[in-house]
Amino acid sequence: MAGKTIVVTSGKGGVGKTTTVANLGTTLAKKKYSVVMLDADIGLRNLDVVMGLENRIVYNLVDIIEGKCRKAQAMIRDRKLSNLFIIPAAQTREKNAVNPEQMRQLCAELAEEFDFVLIDCPAGIEQGFKNAVAGASTAVVVTTPEVSAIRDADRVIGLLEASELKNIYLVINRLNVKMVKKGDMMSTEDIISLLSVPLLGVVPESEEVVISTNRGIPLVHERGSKAGSAFRRIASRLNGESIPIDEDGADGFFGRMKRLIWN
Amino acid sequence: MVSLLRRFFGVDKQSGQVARKRMQFVLMHDRIDITPDLLEAVRKDILEVLSKYMEIDGKSLKVDLEQGKDFMALISNVQVKRVYRHAS
Repeated sequence: MAGKTIVVTSGKGGVGKTTTVANLGTTLAKKKYSVVMLDADIGLRNLDVVMGLENRIVYNLVDIIEGKCRKAQAMIRDRKLSNLFIIPAAQTREKNAVNPEQMRQLCAELAEEFDFVLIDCPAGIEQGFKNAVAGASTAVVVTTPEVSAIRDADRVIGLLEASELKNIYLVINRLNVKMVKKGDMMSTEDIISLLSVPLLGVVPESEEVVISTNRGIPLVHERGSKAGSAFRRIASRLNGESIPIDEDGADGFFGRMKRLIWN
Repeated sequence: MVSLLRRFFGVDKQSGQVARKRMQFVLMHDRIDITPDLLEAVRKDILEVLSKYMEIDGKSLKVDLEQGKDFMALISNVQVKRVYRHAS
């Protein structure tokens, strides 16, 4: 049976696409699934540094597509998990070095070999976006609780719906629970009602994310990290496990009840 | 301190709610996505229909989209010169 192809996208840059890919991929690999993460951000590759694999790159995505190497030669095995791989983007090429049909072909081939193919989409809605989305059957749209990120997410969701991609999920990243409580940040409910896409989970804003990126070790390896466990639950939900959203400590029904009682 | 007082007395709304309200409108506008060309086509059609019943100043006919509090309105203004007798 072919594996799942999932693109992680957002429209706006800097909302945490690459971090999400790294943490979801790592979690799924820890669950013993075989996972390959594809960096589709040609010209601005980053998944390699976030995973701490930057010094192992020989070949890249464009090399595979141009037939300069076999797929296996461009795949870099994770330092900790033997069933987790990344295919880095080319750093010195342009986005139009690849076309959607080639990406569709590559993703289909990878889905034959792996349980999960995660695609890290570049920011924007141009060629790079079209390439990244072409081979995916599921999309995870990452947003933050800011007006610019939400507007761009809405645009991307519109474009995804217009394409054949029908399974679209939302991840809210960097929610600052304190600010939501003060009323100075849109809540999870606000964002869901605006975007009307099923929610996969909420990641609280956390310094741990910066630290883990500095080290090149995905946060989900760390026990006791709130943001890390949020990513773990998101990965589980993506895998079809049913875990109530309330556990994300977001502004859910139970959160409100708790506050009613404690205040 | 001043801003705290302003908020306490309800002068300033909580910014999260301000953001939500603004986004509701912005997203509605983005999704409707009416191009100037489409608006011009609407204008021409309105002109044609109205001209059946009254003499109007074609140049004065304006068609605009306006934002209400939680709705979007299409507003058209036109100067009527004369209503034809048979129309009444």
